[in-house]
Amino acid sequence: MSSIIELKNVCKSFGKTEVLHNIDLSIQEGEVVVVIGPSGSGKSTLIRCINCLELISSGELVVDTIKIPAERKKMRQIRLEVGMVFQQFNLFPHLTALDNVAFGPTKARKMNKLKAAEIARDLLEKVGLSAFQNKLPGQLSGGQQQRVAIARALAVSPKVLLFDEPTSALDPEMIGEVLDVMKNIAKDSGMTMVVVTHEMGFAAQVGDRLIFMDDGRIVEEGKPGEVMKNPQSDRLKDFLGHVKHH
Amino acid sequence: MDFEFSVITESLPALLAGAKLTWIITILGIVGGMICGILAGLGRIAGTEALGEEPHGIFKPISVLIRYISSGYVETIRGTPIIVQAMFLYFAFPMLVKAVFDIDRFRIEALTAAVITIIFNAGAYIAEIVRGSVISVDKGLLEAGMSLGISRFQLIVYVIGPIAFRRMIPPLGNQFIISLKDTSLFIVIGVGELTRQGQEIMASNFRALEIWLTVAVMYLIMTTVLAWSLRRIEKKMKIF
Ligand SMILES: Nc1ncnc2c1ncn2[C@@H]1O[C@H](COP(=O)(O)OP(=O)(O)OP(=O)(O)O)[C@@H](O)[C@H]1O
Ligand SMILES: [Mg+2]
Repeated sequence: MSSIIELKNVCKSFGKTEVLHNIDLSIQEGEVVVVIGPSGSGKSTLIRCINCLELISSGELVVDTIKIPAERKKMRQIRLEVGMVFQQFNLFPHLTALDNVAFGPTKARKMNKLKAAEIARDLLEKVGLSAFQNKLPGQLSGGQQQRVAIARALAVSPKVLLFDEPTSALDPEMIGEVLDVMKNIAKDSGMTMVVVTHEMGFAAQVGDRLIFMDDGRIVEEGKPGEVMKNPQSDRLKDFLGHVKHH
Repeated sequence: MDFEFSVITESLPALLAGAKLTWIITILGIVGGMICGILAGLGRIAGTEALGEEPHGIFKPISVLIRYISSGYVETIRGTPIIVQAMFLYFAFPMLVKAVFDIDRFRIEALTAAVITIIFNAGAYIAEIVRGSVISVDKGLLEAGMSLGISRFQLIVYVIGPIAFRRMIPPLGNQFIISLKDTSLFIVIGVGELTRQGQEIMASNFRALEIWLTVAVMYLIMTTVLAWSLRRIEKKMKIF
């Protein structure tokens, strides 16, 4: 078994406040890890460290055999191999759906435009948006934008995809379409995925492992079904009670 | 009060020559001012998160230095009247060069001094426009770009640049018009631009009404053309 992401005793501070405390985590290739936890527990910070949007303060972090922090070029290499999908979609507002998806291949992978457009069209088809390829982000619904954003992240063929609450900014009726796309990626491509979400159904269905974070620590982890059925800590019991009532 | 239309037709060639010069100074000035302003505007935020991630190693002190230089330039220009800048460049600067480098016949043409003054003056204000627009670009978009693995240069050219540029157009239009009108101040260093032409004709025929009315209309036409071109550009760029 080869782990593609390895955290040993990782701490992260912003100024004087430490927000991640001694995190140990090892993620295998092809694994789908779902991260849950209350607001402010450090979920975003954790996954942002994995693609170097934040630099860890101490400990050891190895992604795709590269030890972080590394020199700039290597960090860029990591970002290329570790894609990210954001809560707020963050599509480039001046580019069409197609150009958003083709952006990574042409700019980061230096692929020629025709080839990149071909890849982008295929991916847009995969996420069910062929008819919208020439639309600007502002002309798309939230769910459509997030599906384009997923296609954009996939377009550079990363080894890992990180999702930071990808459905939290969506109207309820659009959550399903985005989760379906994510499920397909998990099933078809064997992509390594780290997903911060409160969608417990998704976690149970496609998660290989569920991680519960609280106050900058991993409090519980295990098979999603088991963790959800038999929460050990009061905090998790409490938390699960809250998300169920949503 | 008598209004002699013939005064206008007679003075038209001279006034048009002045308008032409005004236009040339303005265009050269705002083109140079854009270059200057983009450099200084980006310089003021070099090495900050507004341009992607913060730099490491040797680039850190370099970016600090760049920030200081850019800020010094912008504050100096903003803190002094343009008319003083023009006089300094035209009268004082050659003396300074003479004293420091011992060059005897160094002087600057009035027209050159005018163009350089507009470039540096407009550049400082444009720098603030550039800085403001770049800072206003959503940080999430920078992170989206970075997480695709593109370089900082690509981030600036393909993400920050286009988004910021659209926001710059209205304030830029404002600045271009101000710069055009500022050229009238070069009357003090003897550049034969539109205001000076008007002044000279006036001094010989004392027809203030006809002359200044014509001069005003000519300025109005030029500023309208500027404003209109910028609106064209704004419309051409995709709406987002
Ligand atoms: N850039 C930053 N500077 C300072 N503090 C930060 C920064 N980013 C996050 N924090 C702090 O770190 C802690 C963890 O934040 P993080 O965003 O990782 O939590 P989260 O679990 O993702 O929460 P949420 O569910 O609200 O997104 C919080 O206390 C937050 O205030
Ligand atoms: Mg978060």
